[in-house]
Amino acid sequence: MHELSVALEICRIVEAHVPADRLGDVVEVAVEVGADAGIEPASLEFCLEALLSLPPFGRARSVLTRLPGDVLRVAHLELEEPDVASRTEVRRAG
Amino acid sequence: MPVRTIDVRERVMEMNDRLAAEVRRRLRAHGVPALNLMSSPGSGKTLLLERTLAALAGDVRIAVVVGDLQTDNDAARLARHTDDLVQAVVTGGACHLDARQILAALDAIDLARTDLLVIENVGNLVCPASWDLGEDARVVLFATTEGEDKPSKYPKMFRLAHYVVMSKIDLLPYLPFDVERAVALARGVNPALEFFRTSALTGEGMDAWLDFVRGFARRAAAPAGARERVAAGPSPAPEVGISARSATP
Repeated sequence: MHELSVALEICRIVEAHVPADRLGDVVEVAVEVGADAGIEPASLEFCLEALLSLPPFGRARSVLTRLPGDVLRVAHLELEEPDVASRTEVRRAG
Repeated sequence: MPVRTIDVRERVMEMNDRLAAEVRRRLRAHGVPALNLMSSPGSGKTLLLERTLAALAGDVRIAVVVGDLQTDNDAARLARHTDDLVQAVVTGGACHLDARQILAALDAIDLARTDLLVIENVGNLVCPASWDLGEDARVVLFATTEGEDKPSKYPKMFRLAHYVVMSKIDLLPYLPFDVERAVALARGVNPALEFFRTSALTGEGMDAWLDFVRGFARRAAAPAGARERVAAGPSPAPEVGISARSATP
């Protein structure tokens, strides 16, 4: 029932770990959800999908891992990095 | 494009728990214990509090923070029974109170002139269980009009609670509610639970509840070590001031 509050808090945590101008490069938000955490994973996924499709995000998808206990935490983020090698090649070609 | 992994490992409730710790610090600095009152909607939290405020007026100075999704109706009802502050928190649809709201509410409460803080949470047996509000003990109302298996259906709420107030016992002659089964199911989830049986309407069982509230408020005057035990939940050996242990059915 409170999955939207939890999803908003997850977004706040993501924003605390990634510079503001790179939030659009976040491609994955990994969340661990315990069976006793009082969270309906499908509902949390739905809320995260909605929030992560909007600015300052846009490309991130959530990956939920179900665990025993009451754990509820953001495990890790995946951030797409600029491809330095291909940029160099473009410059040479120009 | 290459992808970099950022290790986070941060609990989602981290921020709320930090704020709850701040609530606890401020309350303890003034020796004010706090009860978090929770239940499903309609089980009688507001009536129990109305009767409690009226009965203990002039004896225990109780400040109340009451949460509701919409309207401040409950706060208005409670304010009629006390000269102390009743703070309404309208959550605007959110299904629980959080520690940030309690911290903001404390700003308006004169803690130096308060013996006890009672938080009436939003009526809901699911979400409020997950949010620490900085309370010293959690009280769950369990009405005889509900199914006996509520503790099995909402185990987190009962597992994290310290006390259960079985409300509306005046209706027992008219209901198929089996008190012993309800108690057994609740203790199956949390063997340490202590019970009160009340009817705020007729007054039955209210003396034990009121003695408990009086004793709980006065525990604040106990040495710091004893207060830590309050925060950790009911101790197996009751201390002086908690006379309601005999209320166990």
